[in-house]
Amino acid sequence: MKNKILSFVLLLAVSFSVFAQNENKLITKKSHFKFYSHTSIEDIEANNYKSVGTINTQSGEIVFSVPMQSFEFEKAKMQQHYNSPKFLDTKKFPKAKLKGKITNFGDMNFKKDGEYNVQIEGELSIHGQSKQINENAIISVKGNSIKLNSTLNLTLADFGIAFKDGKPSTNIAKVIKTTVVAEY
Amino acid sequence: MIFESKIFKATLLLLGIGITIAILTGIYMFNMPHRNIKTTNTDYQLKTSEIVNEYLQNPTSANEKYLDEEGESKILEITGKITSISIDFNNQIVILLKDNDSKAGVTCTFSDESKIIAQKLKQYQIVVVKGVIRSGASYDEDLEMYENVILEKCSLINIIQS
Repeated sequence: MKNKILSFVLLLAVSFSVFAQNENKLITKKSHFKFYSHTSIEDIEANNYKSVGTINTQSGEIVFSVPMQSFEFEKAKMQQHYNSPKFLDTKKFPKAKLKGKITNFGDMNFKKDGEYNVQIEGELSIHGQSKQINENAIISVKGNSIKLNSTLNLTLADFGIAFKDGKPSTNIAKVIKTTVVAEY
Repeated sequence: MIFESKIFKATLLLLGIGITIAILTGIYMFNMPHRNIKTTNTDYQLKTSEIVNEYLQNPTSANEKYLDEEGESKILEITGKITSISIDFNNQIVILLKDNDSKAGVTCTFSDESKIIAQKLKQYQIVVVKGVIRSGASYDEDLEMYENVILEKCSLINIIQS
């Protein structure tokens, strides 16, 4: 009997802690990551609608997991190149990860409607290589709807992606403009 | 002289044909259309629980089996229960196939051409969906949650149970 009560209390405690953890965590309902490369020769764009992210409303921790094969290009050949071992090697590295923290979290109030300019400091891992990032984002709160918008300029060489010669070196920009929109 | 010029003409003609073929191949490669997932043969037929468990048990071998180096990954037909339906930022219909007792499921984003059929789908139906796999199921310790298997460019094969 004692054991039963004990295990019941334990179960209650565990389920409560799981519940408490989830309560502080906002999960994306939808998201959009866009790569944009501009050179004088051509503009290339790729879109991804399958990323999953969270914001911890207690700690300001922010996470995105990005499935790399979900980036869709207009041209099939470009998409094959992008995925291949010479470029992003998405079979070996199927996901990119952004893990950061809102540094000016004190200004943020998830319960009050408004647009908040936030700074996110953390780490971005693409292609198996990590880099420290410090980026700006806007978090909009409107009732229960929370939206995040950000633009990151990613230098390909930082993630071990370099083109020495041939078409890619002239047609792909060295810095890729990456826009992020997420709804929680 | 006449003979020589004939050879010259023939060489020129062959060269011309060669160059034309090279240019056309180049243009074709550059504008090569995307693979049509709906009309390409299915590689594997699986239940939601089978693909999810395969990934949770051994992600490395599952990635080796299902993902392709150039992103032309395996085409799967998945049978499962619709637990939720949503619309993404690209205005496409997304369904989640997931068993009640499972840690993760399979999300399927329908292609534009399958949209009208997908609009008729309802929660709790058991369906067969065909699509291309983009990534597997796994527990992410930073998100502190399980991520689903991702299938895109999906089409509806069958409704098994309404």
